[in-house]
Amino acid sequence: MAHQGRMGGLVPKAAVLLLLMCAVSSADTIMCNGKYNLFAGTILPLVAGATAVTIVLIAGSFMFGTATSNPKLTLWAKTEIVQLIISLAAISIIMLAVTTFCNLDMKEVADIFGLSGTHPSMNVYDAAKDYLNGAAQYSHNALRMVRYHLEGYTVLSYLNAFMCDFKLGRIGLGCLFGYSGNTEQPFGGYGADIAALNIFFNGMIMAHFTALNFLFILLFIYKGFVFLFLPLGIFLRSLPYMRPVGSALIAIALSFLTIYPFTLAVFNLMGDTLLDRATGYAPAGVNMDKYDESVFPDSANAGSQMGISIGGESVAKCAYFGNDKGVCIAAAVAADFAAAGLLGGLDSSFFDEVENPAGAIMFSAYAFIAAVFFPTAALLASLASVSYMARMMGEEIDLSRITQLV
Amino acid sequence: MKRMLLLLLILPLAFAQWEATAGLAIMTSVTLLAVVYMIGMGFGVNELQMMAKEELFQVIAVMLMLVLLVGSDNILNVITTNVAFKGTSTNMQGAALEILTDMRNQVETVFNTLRDVDHQVALQASKGGSCNVLQVGYSMSGCGGFSMLPTPLSMAGNIAGFALGELSAMIRLVQICQNYSMQFLLPLGIVLRTFKLTRGAGGFLIALAISLYLLVPMGVIFNEMMALTFLKAGTAADTSAELKPLVKMYGETTASPPVEECNELDAPGIMGNLMAGAGAVDCPASTTLADLGNIGAFVPGLGGLDSNDAKATATYCMLRAYTRGYLYLMLIRATLGPVIALLMMSAGIRTLTSIAGAEVDVSAISRFV
Repeated sequence: MAHQGRMGGLVPKAAVLLLLMCAVSSADTIMCNGKYNLFAGTILPLVAGATAVTIVLIAGSFMFGTATSNPKLTLWAKTEIVQLIISLAAISIIMLAVTTFCNLDMKEVADIFGLSGTHPSMNVYDAAKDYLNGAAQYSHNALRMVRYHLEGYTVLSYLNAFMCDFKLGRIGLGCLFGYSGNTEQPFGGYGADIAALNIFFNGMIMAHFTALNFLFILLFIYKGFVFLFLPLGIFLRSLPYMRPVGSALIAIALSFLTIYPFTLAVFNLMGDTLLDRATGYAPAGVNMDKYDESVFPDSANAGSQMGISIGGESVAKCAYFGNDKGVCIAAAVAADFAAAGLLGGLDSSFFDEVENPAGAIMFSAYAFIAAVFFPTAALLASLASVSYMARMMGEEIDLSRITQLV
Repeated sequence: MKRMLLLLLILPLAFAQWEATAGLAIMTSVTLLAVVYMIGMGFGVNELQMMAKEELFQVIAVMLMLVLLVGSDNILNVITTNVAFKGTSTNMQGAALEILTDMRNQVETVFNTLRDVDHQVALQASKGGSCNVLQVGYSMSGCGGFSMLPTPLSMAGNIAGFALGELSAMIRLVQICQNYSMQFLLPLGIVLRTFKLTRGAGGFLIALAISLYLLVPMGVIFNEMMALTFLKAGTAADTSAELKPLVKMYGETTASPPVEECNELDAPGIMGNLMAGAGAVDCPASTTLADLGNIGAFVPGLGGLDSNDAKATATYCMLRAYTRGYLYLMLIRATLGPVIALLMMSAGIRTLTSIAGAEVDVSAISRFV
């Protein structure tokens, strides 16, 4: 009688479940905007197939147990049918969450909380992707700025000058009959800059790769994760000794399909501060157009390269760090030839918009927070959720070790 | 139940600004739970009703945490802003931001000074001379004495850059805590924590918000308090002699130390000093920049700044004394302080998520330190 009562209590649960399942019909795309509907087209048939196989297995066991009067088998079958319903309930919750997230406009969420700044109108899944794209772009911009400085300083620090004796301006008569004069490295002293920037160059490579890694995890979740985990989870939860594995798969799918994107979407709303979105994914005052990715400042023009190479130390510096390279080089030629010694006299006002190693270091620190710290926090939140959900299904799963991948 | 309703009604009145948002989030949670309870009642599902009741206790727990947070925040604000900081902030988040910004400006100045000195020293170290007529002659590096200095200067630049980056990262965290912690992350965490399925994430967001809002600024400010105490102790009459130079140099680090011009063919100067048997050179115990500017005049054995080795040695002595002034700023204030604040934050996240019902292993975040 007690058992009948328990089964009877399942009927209203099944009704609620059906209500939840109805909501799935409005989930119209793969993570809302894809070309085909992964859920309706692929996941649901697979889940249905796994459910059918499991039901057949359970029904077969029940019939075989009844035929052979084996109470162990019939009891197992009755227990498993309850577990099957729990699995289906978990999946219906996932689908309900996906539907909700597809229809939730993060701009409206920002408006509800009165967040200032610009917030694009997009759903949770797109907002999560947008954050990681932004973090990748932001860390890449930081990497670009640091790399540019490193390249410039490395080239300049190897520049050697030979000043012939008996100078007439830049020309020295001491070299007419031999090789008499002084040698100097006018920009040899970039060791402190290079040492400081090297750390951040390595850090930014890691940060950029970490952002890409989190982005790939997100895309994998969108396009392949549930495809395998949900049907397999349902099936495995019904097999003897395999329930922990099945529970883990469902809990992971549930967490990573809901908590991970949602947490990232929340961070995306903080993008004006975290990613400097309002100033083009770079801190205020940093103009990324000044930091191109060519190895030589004017790599397309051999004449220009030669001119810069032999133009003198100030011309070389202007080629890398001049605010306006043309103006800077013209001033450098005049200053170099007017001066008897090296470093003829261009002050920092010719370079201060481009040469900014301290700014590059600060930018890198910001990028580390945006591309490593916060995405890792999103991952940690998802792992916390996995543990909690698995506990709800009666299993203890500790995935904290996975953070060592970070 | 009546008491509960009364408490809910007076909750928004007790708070202001972010507290009002948090109060609204709690009201939202209670409303959602009421809906769940009604669905359970309508469909006759006892489990749903029981779940709604159970969750209500969780909301009450969050409310208690919030009350505790408001109380702690007020107490900490009083403690931290009453200390004689030069800033004008009325709360500890603003005070922490002011401290960090001020510290970063100092570190940036030191970093730029180091760059400047490095440029000058390396220029002197690179100098060499050749005298060659009709393929007969010699080359020499009369400024070789300066080449011992760029390597430690690179290391100093490395440390200064690291400190600058660390402070910038802390500033960004405090900016986020000011703009989003309480206004956005906490209320969202409260709403998420209402449901069993999202309790882990909700607990994490609450823990992150509180840790960012309270523990990061608290760590920064308390470290600064200790730093100020240390500085005051350093200037007291009874302070040990070893400590005084460090403290005395503090605050005098804005001007670039002078680097003397080296003559690349100054062979007679080198030879003269060697032949005179100048012997070992002891750097003076001088600690002020004014003294350091004339260091060559009283370095024993150098006899003024006539020769290249005198200039190189004087530059070395000057940098040795000068960099001691950086140590306190770089190692204690700019490096140790943020590390303590970050460790407090990660420990706070772990403890608070544990209280919130979903413990998060924050070793990944701690590893960033």
